Amino acid sequence: MRFQDAAPDARAVVYAGIQADPLVARAAGLLADARLDQRILARAVMNGMTTDPVVWRTMFPGLFGPDRPAGPDRERSEAILDAAVAVAERGELVRQQVRGAIVEAVTELIVRRRGGGTAAANQAIRRERRILFDGVRAEIHPYDVTVETPGASEAIDCKWGARGISADVLHQLDDARTHAADEEEHLAATLVVFDARRSCDVRLERQTAPHEATRLIALETLDDLAR
Amino acid sequence: MEIQPIVSVADAITAASAAYDELAARAEEVEDEWSFVNDLADAWRIRLADVADARGDEPAAIGVAEAVAALSAEARAIDDPHRAIDWLSTFPQVLLIAVGEWP
Repeated sequence: MRFQDAAPDARAVVYAGIQADPLVARAAGLLADARLDQRILARAVMNGMTTDPVVWRTMFPGLFGPDRPAGPDRERSEAILDAAVAVAERGELVRQQVRGAIVEAVTELIVRRRGGGTAAANQAIRRERRILFDGVRAEIHPYDVTVETPGASEAIDCKWGARGISADVLHQLDDARTHAADEEEHLAATLVVFDARRSCDVRLERQTAPHEATRLIALETLDDLAR
Repeated sequence: MEIQPIVSVADAITAASAAYDELAARAEEVEDEWSFVNDLADAWRIRLADVADARGDEPAAIGVAEAVAALSAEARAIDDPHRAIDWLSTFPQVLLIAVGEWP
């Protein structure tokens, strides 16, 4: 089993520009340290219709109501709202790409908490990588995040919503895990979905593709990526 | 934005249900996802009904009536059925947070 940079095709070049957008890093940094209700706020705003912050503050009285005093927590909610509105104000196609890039960037940030953020641990965490196995045709789509630590490797795919869980995604993750096992290597397969576990479970119930050995990280359990 | 009188947690869930039903109807326009849409909506309706059963008599907190009105208006503004599918999951999460529940 070996890891390899994805080929820089046209899609990858365009998407790299999206990933490098400063808004992606700003939103991801805020969401990596956010609570569940703040992450739900971001999810709603980034796929909402209105970009009026007053409406969103009204919709989340627990974050912005009179019972929520001024202070760091309120400031974080305001910063998340501001970033999410900036995403929503992009055109529809761009906002979809930006949202996806944010979920990937949040995932990477939280995964980097493993191992205390040492240089060696950091170097093992990569983006947009393929995994190659002897005698197996390479998958077209690279993995969003990989952990390339011998004996504790992991392939991570990220999705914005439960609807993104498809047979193709589940097969690719499970195939990678089983091909690694064939080579007597350990490879964990993880699917990160920026949506509620309940919605993911509904989607998974409809899937016949193998997923029992794939770890599902939903919105409620994002912080588990640090372990 | 119409703000309905909401006294209890059960009132909040009931007031939001009409907009959620309309959202589900819009999402059903994606024919390939019809079964998923209905399973998804049913799963969240069950969760909301469980909360209404457990905490329905509790008074709604300050701001919940306005939150439900804003949430319902936002859902009704969605005209894209694909976005409506995504909001079938988002809507109940926002509502549950508003009434003090984790989804």
